[in-house]
Amino acid sequence: MANLKETFLNPLLKGNPITVLVLGICSSLAVTVELKGACVMALSVIAVTGLSSLVVSILRNTIPNRVRIIVQLVVVAMMVILVDQLLKAFAYGIDKQLSVYIGLIITNCIVMGRIEAFALGQKPIPSLIDGVANGLGYGMILIIVAFFRELLGSGTLFGLPVLKAIGYTNNGLMILPPMALILLGCVIWVQRSIQKDLQEK
Amino acid sequence: MNTNSNTYTVVYTTIIVIIVAAILAFAAMSLNGRQVANMKAETIGQILKAAKIESGESNAEIINAYKSQIAEAYTVDLTGAKKGELPAEDATIFTTSQLKAQNYKIAGGESDATLPVYVFKNGTKVVPIYGAGLWGPVWGYVAVGTDGKIVGATFDHASETPGLGGKIKDDPAFSAQFDGKAFDFNDVVPFDIVKGGAPAGKVNAIDAITGATMTSKGLGEAVNAWARAYAPVLAAAPCCCEETQAEETTKTEE
Repeated sequence: MANLKETFLNPLLKGNPITVLVLGICSSLAVTVELKGACVMALSVIAVTGLSSLVVSILRNTIPNRVRIIVQLVVVAMMVILVDQLLKAFAYGIDKQLSVYIGLIITNCIVMGRIEAFALGQKPIPSLIDGVANGLGYGMILIIVAFFRELLGSGTLFGLPVLKAIGYTNNGLMILPPMALILLGCVIWVQRSIQKDLQEK
Repeated sequence: MNTNSNTYTVVYTTIIVIIVAAILAFAAMSLNGRQVANMKAETIGQILKAAKIESGESNAEIINAYKSQIAEAYTVDLTGAKKGELPAEDATIFTTSQLKAQNYKIAGGESDATLPVYVFKNGTKVVPIYGAGLWGPVWGYVAVGTDGKIVGATFDHASETPGLGGKIKDDPAFSAQFDGKAFDFNDVVPFDIVKGGAPAGKVNAIDAITGATMTSKGLGEAVNAWARAYAPVLAAAPCCCEETQAEETTKTEE
């Protein structure tokens, strides 16, 4: 059990896919303009990483080694399309807001990375936990970055005007992708100054 | 079993692909009805919002609001002559993909274009627009009142950048600029979306979106192309007052 707990906690901080492994940067630049979009994107990625890790782990002993990447890709693509279709049917407004980015979960390095590094060699339950935890670690950073970008860029949080009352002028730079990268850099900086063991000599 | 043999690999991948295809086909078919209904309700919601008609959030509420408020929905050609009816009882509307097909005809100046017009009980006419933004199509609805002034407008897009071009949909302040403006068919362009700010007092111009020049430009072109196509209908707007008033009287009598 202690092992499962470790599997779950590691991707959240010590082995965070964005700030430590620096994977999934592209989508974290794209969907962090607004908090709502970032939250749904986080949930979608959690579902995709968790379920595709689970499926690949169940199939792991049968997958021919030479075509394993293709098989993984097929599984991941299926999950992403299912998520997209379900959102279109049951959460249409949110699907419209995320538009192309749902489809782009396929290209998110975290999903394939965790399958290759973890699910291919582990039992289904730890794989599921690893997948979900990595999705959570990704989502956590997404929400932190989106919080600052929406607050300082549009003066709102979840679309509610928060800073308008005190006469804040929106910072247009916050909305543009480069600022996400700078914020991400700040998050990494803060994390490394707290967790000293992450610092390279 | 040797999982590395050629036969195994080919058979394995074939089976996996067939299973995945079957799951996806099943999901697509079983969810399709709901998805189409969502899209239709969304479009009707946009038409109602442009005409400033209150409706609820749910699909059923939106469709009921449309059915109770619509006076007449029909299609016209480029000369403004009526071509056909869009029956209100099942809330028939033009879908976005139908607008796309008509957009080609408008661009090509083909006279057999079929353009929808939605007339509400208060005399407001709602017409669609469709065109190209920066990353993909942009479309929307413009409502013109009986006095020829724009009542409201809503816009939507397939893949404009959220927070920049996406503001045509998400920023209420952008679409609110249309309220009270009017098309001027004697001007160079019937309607102008001006980068750097519209001149004060100009009745057919609004400000473009900062940081979204291409989207603003594309939207402006779309509005103008479709406004020209609808010119016979929209220019004739004031003359419909009598007809509408008559309709309203009959309604009160009922």
